Amino acid sequence: MAEIEARGVRKVYGDLVAIDGLDFAAGSGELVSIVGPSGCGKSTFLHIVGGFVEPSAGTVSVPGRLGIVFQEPALFAWKTVLGNIAYGLPRRERARAVRYVELVKLGGFERAYPKELSGGMKQRVALARSLIMDPDVLLMDEPFAAVDAQTRSTLQAELLQIWERARMTVLFVTHSVDEALFLADRVYVLSQRPARVKEVLEVGLPRPREREQVLADPIYRDLHARIWSLLEA
Amino acid sequence: MLGALAVALLLGVWELAPRVGWVREQSVPPFSDVAREAASLLGRPEFLSDLASSGARWAAGFAVAVLIGVPLGAWMGRSRRVRRIVDPLLALGYPVPKAALILLFVLWFGAGNVARVGIVVTGCLIPIVISAMHGAAGVAPELLWAARSLGRRPPILQAALPQILSGARIAIAVAIFTVLASELLIRGSGVGAYMFDALDNGQTVTVFAVAAIVAGLGFALDAAYVLGVRRALPWLEGEL
Repeated sequence: MAEIEARGVRKVYGDLVAIDGLDFAAGSGELVSIVGPSGCGKSTFLHIVGGFVEPSAGTVSVPGRLGIVFQEPALFAWKTVLGNIAYGLPRRERARAVRYVELVKLGGFERAYPKELSGGMKQRVALARSLIMDPDVLLMDEPFAAVDAQTRSTLQAELLQIWERARMTVLFVTHSVDEALFLADRVYVLSQRPARVKEVLEVGLPRPREREQVLADPIYRDLHARIWSLLEA
Repeated sequence: MLGALAVALLLGVWELAPRVGWVREQSVPPFSDVAREAASLLGRPEFLSDLASSGARWAAGFAVAVLIGVPLGAWMGRSRRVRRIVDPLLALGYPVPKAALILLFVLWFGAGNVARVGIVVTGCLIPIVISAMHGAAGVAPELLWAARSLGRRPPILQAALPQILSGARIAIAVAIFTVLASELLIRGSGVGAYMFDALDNGQTVTVFAVAAIVAGLGFALDAAYVLGVRRALPWLEGEL
């Protein structure tokens, strides 16, 4: 498993400074969340880490294999669920996709097309599509922001189950403080645009995390309050 | 339901008007006469052979336009430089009446099939290139990034397919009236030529019958296209 390391990342669009010097690090097998207000540049930072966007300055090092899940599922409309999940695999390995359909609880929908799926189901496909490639690092860009609260809770729990077993390094971007605290080992709190790191917090909640337990835990409440005050400042 | 009623009403008026004297029968023959002549035409070998010629030009022009236009449009959609070079050429060509162009083509290539198919290609290129261009340009970057992270090439054409198919649907109709218009002008063979001869000989019913057959074929081709696409591509969402 690999680490993520970013130093002095800066992104400028003409006169607009989107990111103003970010340092970031995630250790092997860590689940790190980046939290910030909408439009602060956290998605842009994730795109830079993923190598899809060039930084204006700074360095990024992600030595391992990368998987990515976006906020919009970005499924290939002309492929079935199985076809999407197997998209990155060589022909002879395509049969493995069946297991991953089960993994994300989409049994029965193997031959369905994306147009027949709900938002939550599409994200499960997107997740399976990344996981089947055995990534060392998984980048997730507000993947559950576009689904309803119930589905989001379910998907968060399922993500943790999958992650507990695979233990890849995860960079999870979100604007939800609840989500960041529930999932992560550490949380980076970003400022408004231009994005800078305000603080990095250790999430000392025990694993495995049960939602009821977490919500009742005083550590959770303290961290929650702390992050909110940082975001509001 | 309402649509069928509207059509029935129109046909009813068409049948009645010349018989009652609202219009001259020589100018607008009653619908039943036209229908009978149309049925007869479909059994006449000369007409059928002209129909086949027109059909072949339509198909060839459409096919060449797709083969050239889809990759060109997609390229324009993904490359600003290519777009900047080709866009003005398209913009200039767009308002030029195909009727004028066909005479130019005949001047350059003679009155044979090169000019006839060429004009169809020219007419069809616009909708096909434009739709392919917008389709390719409109592909969500996340989709391409996802493909890249999975080690695959960017699926531009597949992602742009819905728009490309829309453009092709328009091109089907454009090809039909371009073939007809060019044959009316330069005659020789084809449905347009047949129609012109009938007009020349004062055979008004035949003129209407040919027009009705072409209209019917156009309608049928369009319907077959939509149905065929839906069946062949069950993953397609939305209207064509």
